[in-house]
Amino acid sequence: GGLTPTCPLAGEWRGRMEEGKAHSLGGVFAHLEMLEARAREAAMKQAAAEQRKEQLARLEARVQELRQQRDELRAKVELQEQGQLGKRGAMSDPAQHSAQAVLEWKIRKVKSTLQVFYLTGISGKLTKQGVCFCISTAYEGTYLDSYHLDLLTEPQVRIHHHSIPIFIPLEQIAKKYLQTDIRRFLSVLSDHLNAYVGRRYQADQLQEHFSDQIEGTMQRNSLCNLLVFNYNTSSKSETFPFNARLLYGDLCCSLPTEVIVSSASDAPAALAETAAAHSDLFRRLALHKAFGS
Amino acid sequence: MDETVAEYIRRTVLKIPRDEIKTMLQKWGFLSETQLQTINFHQMKDNISQDVVQCCEENSASIKQAAVLDIIYNHSYPNKRMWSVYQMNKTEEETDFFDLTDFRKKFKRHLRSALKNVTINFREYENNAIWIRIAWGTPYTKPNQYKTSYVVYHSQTPHAFISPSVLKSNLPLLCQALVVASNYQDIHEMELRSHSLNSLEDMVFKRYSQNFETYCPRPLQESTVAQESAAGLRIVQENINEKERIQRVNRDTFGDGPQPKLEFAEYKLETMFTSDPKLEVLDKKEPFRCMVKFHSPHLLESLKSLAPAGMADAPLSPLLTCIPHKARNYFKIREKKGFFPGSFVSP
Repeated sequence: GGLTPTCPLAGEWRGRMEEGKAHSLGGVFAHLEMLEARAREAAMKQAAAEQRKEQLARLEARVQELRQQRDELRAKVELQEQGQLGKRGAMSDPAQHSAQAVLEWKIRKVKSTLQVFYLTGISGKLTKQGVCFCISTAYEGTYLDSYHLDLLTEPQVRIHHHSIPIFIPLEQIAKKYLQTDIRRFLSVLSDHLNAYVGRRYQADQLQEHFSDQIEGTMQRNSLCNLLVFNYNTSSKSETFPFNARLLYGDLCCSLPTEVIVSSASDAPAALAETAAAHSDLFRRLALHKAFGS
Repeated sequence: MDETVAEYIRRTVLKIPRDEIKTMLQKWGFLSETQLQTINFHQMKDNISQDVVQCCEENSASIKQAAVLDIIYNHSYPNKRMWSVYQMNKTEEETDFFDLTDFRKKFKRHLRSALKNVTINFREYENNAIWIRIAWGTPYTKPNQYKTSYVVYHSQTPHAFISPSVLKSNLPLLCQALVVASNYQDIHEMELRSHSLNSLEDMVFKRYSQNFETYCPRPLQESTVAQESAAGLRIVQENINEKERIQRVNRDTFGDGPQPKLEFAEYKLETMFTSDPKLEVLDKKEPFRCMVKFHSPHLLESLKSLAPAGMADAPLSPLLTCIPHKARNYFKIREKKGFFPGSFVSP
């Protein structure tokens, strides 16, 4: 059992018809309007789609045109180039080619030699009135600033311009060596500058990488030959920070000549020994390396 | 809190542009964050300053803290004052371990020994510059906080930048104190003055970009290329050689980087009037006095653009181009009779 009626539609339809009749003409017209609107929409969409297709086809055709033009022009250019090469090829001989190549090789070699001189630290160039030296400084493999010295040679050797910082004792070094031994002058000046940038680099590295171990601000000066700071051995703030006072007596040296590490007066005695050990460490190692260890 | 201190803080806050007040107060660090939160920084400046004074009352500000705020304001806006450059000399050659605490002690002691009524404040900045603010009084009156002198000193350099107050009589005392504190022997004023403190420092410490001849390739600035492409390839420059020569000479003289900022250069001429003796223009043989002063918002940049603009021949007169090298903008030009220190004989 349980057979469903085979044509329920007739019954349904009759039902709908009856429904429609029940809603009268207004209902039917509304229904028709809705269908009309739907048809209109569909027509518009189709029209838009067709327009797009047309445009696409037009653009594709244009692309084809341009591509064809490009190929034509390319062929023309190639032909011209070949023609020129052909002409040149007819006139040149192997000797000219290799002369060009040799010249280029020479120029490359000279450039790299000059680059090597620049990297060694002291390089120079003859100018109309004298010589211009460039002292490039480095500290433990890192190249730092370069400084320039423009010297006049007539009537005596004297300094015309320079970009040496004001706190490097340039006049004193010049007074001692410039007239008599220019090599020694450059060497001493280079030592001063290299040591200065080395000290500055150490102080900068300390401030950058170990700022959590330093308490308060670090006192420095322009020549970086006096550093005073308070520090802890670890990142957390301890009750008895150490106070370090580094004096760099030798301006040509990047390690301190005198180190005084002290702890607060009420600190336990054991810390005094650590202070002495630290003092020794600072005297031997570069500052940021001492902190790293 | 003292009435005068409150008024001084109020007036200092009024000087600061409204958008900067909060950052400057934070830099000052005298008011806590919670106090700063209570102030509405979008109201009128008058009201903001009143609120700030209120908070300072709560913290009992003294003139010392008020002075620090003044230093911070002047450090941010140094171009509002006129700065002169002074140079110190010493004969000994031993290395100087510049100790900041030592310097401050000596400076204060020297000033206070001569004049009891002074307010002295120090503030150090990262580039090793020490800013000193001095408010002057007299033996009978308290220091006048509105008439301050400022000194900027970079340790271990022989130069000091002084912006004097209106009371010029205190300047010798200030110079003396500076000399004593920094272990030098004497001090004299250089012929260099400007509103732009940074440019003065650049010129004196040779930090501006000078032109040195080296083999190392410098990136050449092809500023002419942009002009050509904009004008189109159909325009041919007839005197392109001359233009390029001028650019080259200009670059050699001035270098590639930005020039230090100066507002004027003054040339005093004391030369004889040379003319046909028959005309007898001047009965007495006196030097013909004349002063030429160049004014500009940025003098050196305008000099640099004279030749490319076609208004002057390149190379420019050495009298004009030597300004940054010699670090002076006051010149006296006399006859080539002999060598006068402090004067510059025209070539």
